[in-house]
Amino acid sequence: MEDCNVHSAASILASVKEQEARFERLTRALEQERRHVALQLERAQQPGMVSGGVGGGQPLPMAWQQLVLQEQSPGSQASLATMPEAPDVLEETVTVEEDPGTPTSHVSVVTSEDGTTRRTETKVTKTVKTVTTRTVRQVPLGPDGLPLLDGGPPLGPFADGALDRHFLLRGGGPVATLSRAYLTSGGSFPEGPEPRDGPSYGSLSRGLGMRPPRAGPLGPGPGDGCFTLPGHREAFPVGPESGPPGGRSLPERFQAEPYGLEDDTRSLAADDEGGPELEPDYGTATRRRPECGRGLHTRAYEDAADDGSELLGERPAFSAVTAPLAQPERGSLGSLDRLVRRSPSVDSARKEPRWRDPELPEVLAMLRHPVDPVKANAAAYLQHLCFENEGIKRRVRQLRGLPLLVALLDHPRAEVRRRACGALRNLSYGRDTDNKAAIRDCGGVPALVRLLRAARDNEVRELVTGTLWNLSSYEPLKMAIIDHGLQTLTHEVIVPHSGWEREPNEDSKPRDAEWTTVFKNTSGCLRNVSSDGAEARRRLRECEGLVDALLHALQSAVGRKDTDNKSVENCVCIMRNLSYHVHKEVPGADRYQEAEPGPLGSAVGSQRRRRDDASCFGGKKAKGKKDGEMDRNFDTLDLPKRTEAAKGFELLYQPEVVRLYLSLLTESRNFNTLEAAAGALQNLSAGNWMWATYIRATVRKERGLPVLVELLQSETDKVVRAVAIALRNLSLDRRNKDLIGSYAMAELVRNLRNAQSPPRPGAHLEEDTVVAVLNTIHEIVSDSLDNARSLLQARGVPALVALVASSQSVREAKAASHVLQTVWSYKELRGTLQKDGWTKARFQLAATTTKGPKGAPSPGGFDDSTLPLVDKSLEGEKTGSRDVIPMDALGPDGYSTVDRRERRPRGTCSAGEASEKEPLKLDPSRKAPPPGPSRPTVRLVDAVGDAKPQPVDSWV
Amino acid sequence: PTPLPGQDVAPQRVEIHKLRQGENLILGFSIGGGIDQDPSQNPFSEDKTDKGIYVTRVSEGGPAEIAGLQIGDKIMQVNGWDMTMVTHDQARKRLTKRSEEVVRLLVTRQSLQKAVQQSMLS
Repeated sequence: MEDCNVHSAASILASVKEQEARFERLTRALEQERRHVALQLERAQQPGMVSGGVGGGQPLPMAWQQLVLQEQSPGSQASLATMPEAPDVLEETVTVEEDPGTPTSHVSVVTSEDGTTRRTETKVTKTVKTVTTRTVRQVPLGPDGLPLLDGGPPLGPFADGALDRHFLLRGGGPVATLSRAYLTSGGSFPEGPEPRDGPSYGSLSRGLGMRPPRAGPLGPGPGDGCFTLPGHREAFPVGPESGPPGGRSLPERFQAEPYGLEDDTRSLAADDEGGPELEPDYGTATRRRPECGRGLHTRAYEDAADDGSELLGERPAFSAVTAPLAQPERGSLGSLDRLVRRSPSVDSARKEPRWRDPELPEVLAMLRHPVDPVKANAAAYLQHLCFENEGIKRRVRQLRGLPLLVALLDHPRAEVRRRACGALRNLSYGRDTDNKAAIRDCGGVPALVRLLRAARDNEVRELVTGTLWNLSSYEPLKMAIIDHGLQTLTHEVIVPHSGWEREPNEDSKPRDAEWTTVFKNTSGCLRNVSSDGAEARRRLRECEGLVDALLHALQSAVGRKDTDNKSVENCVCIMRNLSYHVHKEVPGADRYQEAEPGPLGSAVGSQRRRRDDASCFGGKKAKGKKDGEMDRNFDTLDLPKRTEAAKGFELLYQPEVVRLYLSLLTESRNFNTLEAAAGALQNLSAGNWMWATYIRATVRKERGLPVLVELLQSETDKVVRAVAIALRNLSLDRRNKDLIGSYAMAELVRNLRNAQSPPRPGAHLEEDTVVAVLNTIHEIVSDSLDNARSLLQARGVPALVALVASSQSVREAKAASHVLQTVWSYKELRGTLQKDGWTKARFQLAATTTKGPKGAPSPGGFDDSTLPLVDKSLEGEKTGSRDVIPMDALGPDGYSTVDRRERRPRGTCSAGEASEKEPLKLDPSRKAPPPGPSRPTVRLVDAVGDAKPQPVDSWV
Repeated sequence: PTPLPGQDVAPQRVEIHKLRQGENLILGFSIGGGIDQDPSQNPFSEDKTDKGIYVTRVSEGGPAEIAGLQIGDKIMQVNGWDMTMVTHDQARKRLTKRSEEVVRLLVTRQSLQKAVQQSMLS
């Protein structure tokens, strides 16, 4: 019995199956240990066993050689594990008995932590005592998810991983020594209590501990440990203090959701509009792990070979081990989960069964760890931590974690790159723009683009493009993305996925677009950057193949009637944005200005004249006489014949695009797509150049007006708005104006009524929309007595009066009164008006009193100090596209729009707006802001009234 | 905005024939106001202390609209009964008597000119 003081044992997750497999190995190991021990005993004369660990100073290390979670004196089951923090401490005891010839098995430990029970089962073999531990939960895992002590090398794809483990395992109880020594500063085996904080550094010691050159198997004694450990501490400055508390909180989190990563990704995916697409890859990622691990085993073991053949012999056992281990956890190998548990493994394996999650600074430090799997795992864990946690994201930035991650994007190992990118994707998501800026500041954009160029792995490409999408929502980054990434994004993703071919093979039919996640992310990114002003538009328009590919993709979508998805939405939004101000911005635009006689000849000329007329309020004198002439001109409008096919940005404004947009307007059920398509028509029909004239006529010829008018009934505010503005621009064409006046007036007025008394709760029209409708009505009644008459017939006057009287919006009231003034300006209508109860005298008064102010107001005149700031800034930027515009002050191009969202991020914007709309949903946070419209849902003006009790209103 | 002086508002008569809708007779408009309501929230009144009954909505194509009633009209009388000093509910009941298939309203209407002026001044 004397020689029987052995120790050993590993508390690890082993399952029944693996036990068998391990048996042999343990046997051998124990045998060896026994020899060592015997030797030591002899030498050191160690008295029996110290319960609760061997006293310091004992040259025990050798004895501990393999694995050993806890030592215990033979026969006595005193547990070392008693931790002060009783409640959540796991007690893990491994009993080793050496009772040759008497195979027995003990279940020695029952630990409960957070309610989990852990059983340690010890089996003793005939010759030697072997300890097998079976833990139901809380098993210290290696980086790969394998039980640590088993010498299970990290299974990660990296062979290096194994080294760590081995290193620890090796070197005469390295595992124990390192952490212990570190903790206790010297004692070979600290008593139970000491390790207390030790455990918290468990991960540290593992991570860093391995760093130092490994000692031979027997080499590292306590001394070694002491020597190497200090370094750890420095590495983790925060560690000590924050250790315990932090350690606790994190674990809780994980316990609650042990499958952290999985959940994370799952929810990510769910959040993602493209959700379903993401899931699969996460799935594979997870699944992949075990395989990789297995493959690596070999190598890992080889590295560890010096350790002794025993380990090598074990190899097969490992795979067996893995499976069983996983079982208690639902069989999931969620990497995070694994990750988390892994680090603390050493400690838990030892005295302190309880593992602890690494502190953030520790995790970040691990990003620099020389061992690749550690880096990868740290990054993956970081991704998990950052999920929906703005606080952590901020801390990562403050702790300078972003440059570390960005640097890893160029890491030679794919796994490291992937994980780093995953972390960046979550870190880059969210309203907090500081992280985005920080990523840029450390060269993140070019690094991501480089990675995209190099990556063949689809998952990585998705992550990179997702991250770029997130980054692209931040104004100051847009140009950087264009500078570094436009070419790559276009040529690596947009063009190939769009199905467009530069040199189409005439024999084969055109390829369809593929709506991949990568394409969706990339188009989302370009959509965001396309709103960065004239220079951004220029760059995108001139990027070879981009417009061609987008157009091809959209045509393909229409052809397949697949127009509701996010990729289509993104493409249309880009097209809309690029169409903004084409008449001013594209090279050579001045050649097409209508000032010149252009190919249209007289038609163009009269068109222009008409516009001039319309722009001054006296225009009504011109009405009537031109109608016939206009009809003729426009119905016989000949589109210019081209000698060669249009390409590149020219495609933006060719009349052929009209059909595409109209198809989208007819078929899509995606409101954003509808809005963008209407916005594109709006942009293209603005401006006084030849192409706008063609576009306006083409919309009519393609029977687009009824399509647009029908959309005035849309339940979606922004669609109504975009359509209303488009109709306004289209009515610059005289024939369109007549048609719109006849057929759209009722719908326009209905929208005004709805503004007044929403047909159903929640159907409130936004101020911008009401103003847009009013401006459109104004445009079509100006200079057209017939249209003004239509307005009266549609009972528009009462609606306008009610709006003027009751609207809480100054802009609405003003726009409505502009229309009323215009109506009043038709003497022919005054009789009718009188009959309806408006007296002549009052109208005259109205006309005169209002005329004064009306002519005067410049756009600036409409700034109202009561308007909220947001509005003001928007207004400023938006020049005219959505304001009440004195018609005479604005040229037609004042009506074009660009993606709205871009203009809002200014910081003033509230919740729903700004950046997040487009950012890759990859993020979890996605949920928070509904991906919806970019504007506040509550009218600011209304908010004031909200406090008061709602006035009673009864139908009779 | 302070009301301009000298606004005389000519009352108008509106006769509405109720429409039978299932068991109900409906007029097709809604009212707001009354002496028990907060007059400052009435968007249609010129004088924000006016506790009168106002037409707040008119259903499209309904009897009231056909009869020419308009949003913002102030109801002075219903079949001869004064409506300027009644509670909201009294007004509602007065308008919805099942025994009366026709209601004659005396209403005042803000002039268009007025509305425009108001908006320009605000």
